[in-house]
Amino acid sequence: MTDDLKALVESLIFVSQEPVSLERLQAVLEGVPAADIQAAVDELVAGYGAGERGIHIIRAGGGWIFSTKPGHDREVRRLLQIERKNRLSSAGLETLAVIAYRQPVTQSEISAVRGVDSTGSLKTLLDKKLIKIVGRKKAPGNPLVYRTSEEFLLYLGLDSLEGLPSETEIAKILEEEKAVEA
Amino acid sequence: MTETSPEILPVEDAPLAPPAAEAAEGYQVRLDVFEGPLDLLLFLIRKKKIDIHDIPIAAITRDYLGYLDRKTEINLDREAEFVFIAALLIYIKSQMLLPRETDLAEHEDPRRVLVDRLLEYSRVKAACSLLREREDVQILQWKRDFIPPLHGESELEPVELSLFDLAESFFLMMKRREADDTRIIRGRDVSTEVKMKELVTLLHERSVIDFLEYFESHASLEEALVSFFCILELVKSRVAVAVQDELFKTIRVWLRKDARRTAAHD
Repeated sequence: MTDDLKALVESLIFVSQEPVSLERLQAVLEGVPAADIQAAVDELVAGYGAGERGIHIIRAGGGWIFSTKPGHDREVRRLLQIERKNRLSSAGLETLAVIAYRQPVTQSEISAVRGVDSTGSLKTLLDKKLIKIVGRKKAPGNPLVYRTSEEFLLYLGLDSLEGLPSETEIAKILEEEKAVEA
Repeated sequence: MTETSPEILPVEDAPLAPPAAEAAEGYQVRLDVFEGPLDLLLFLIRKKKIDIHDIPIAAITRDYLGYLDRKTEINLDREAEFVFIAALLIYIKSQMLLPRETDLAEHEDPRRVLVDRLLEYSRVKAACSLLREREDVQILQWKRDFIPPLHGESELEPVELSLFDLAESFFLMMKRREADDTRIIRGRDVSTEVKMKELVTLLHERSVIDFLEYFESHASLEEALVSFFCILELVKSRVAVAVQDELFKTIRVWLRKDARRTAAHD
């Protein structure tokens, strides 16, 4: 692998506003073996991860994307003149979690799990583009069917849906909660 | 709730404790801090250190109703959800009181429905706490997409139209058509499903279509109507965007970028 390739890959990731996948890089860098590109990316990721850089390359949504490091949030916000970024409400996060694990899923299925009407949360999540409508279910009333979006993966820094907390991790949390009570 | 509970609760095997008794125990929780009835139930179960697989329904129902009584202002929709679970609790209790000839097998336990829901919900809550941790880290990392692009491909900053604008244009066009063509047109069966597919394909091919031009090209009123509803549906379900550059100008329709990408993947 040459330094040229590393520099080239760096600029490709830099200009992209959404995660760039290995496939995309391969398509652009015609003829360059995937292993070489991967090696270049790995070196870049390691380089930016080092202490002295303000930005790093993160893996999310099936590709790589530049972002600032968490510690610089306050100053970045000051520059951009933004008070703070709002987290999702508990209701929003709950709805999102149900969709993430149960997708494709309808509004009534989501509401049934939560025991609460979820129409409002769905609207917020759609506005934030964290979920999308993928069609209608062939069931009485033809309800809309929801899935999480690409933005969802990026939002939570997940590479793919496989990266969602696993059954084991969830069970561990529940165990911990039990332990606290005892 | 307050009026009905004494009538229903005599089936309980313990006397109904006045709701005030709990407040005296030294905690006070407002109903609106709970995400919903399941959240409240889980809270009560944890507080009393109850085994979720062996819930004393009478006691938990009493606590639960105690909370409902303490409500000050919650909206009716929310209240209905809380009352629904209260009804479920009472139903379960009534099932448990029914005399049976043989003991119930475990899977026949009337509490099973509730326990399954509670377990499912507690898993969701646990997943949420993990996702929240991720969100908290990610939210501090700024990506370049935050800075709005100078020249977006197509979705610049156009004014999105309401469905009413679309409808108005449509009727305007139908009127125009009525004026210059009064022949009776025999209906051909057009299904929304077929039309929808046709429309999406067309949007994919041409990337942008001219709203009025598209309708004018239709042979029959029925077909035009069907396509119109298809467009409304696409806009409503956020698959397509309809944009009018200027008042009284034509309306252009295109697929949303993410919708186009998804479709390309399929």
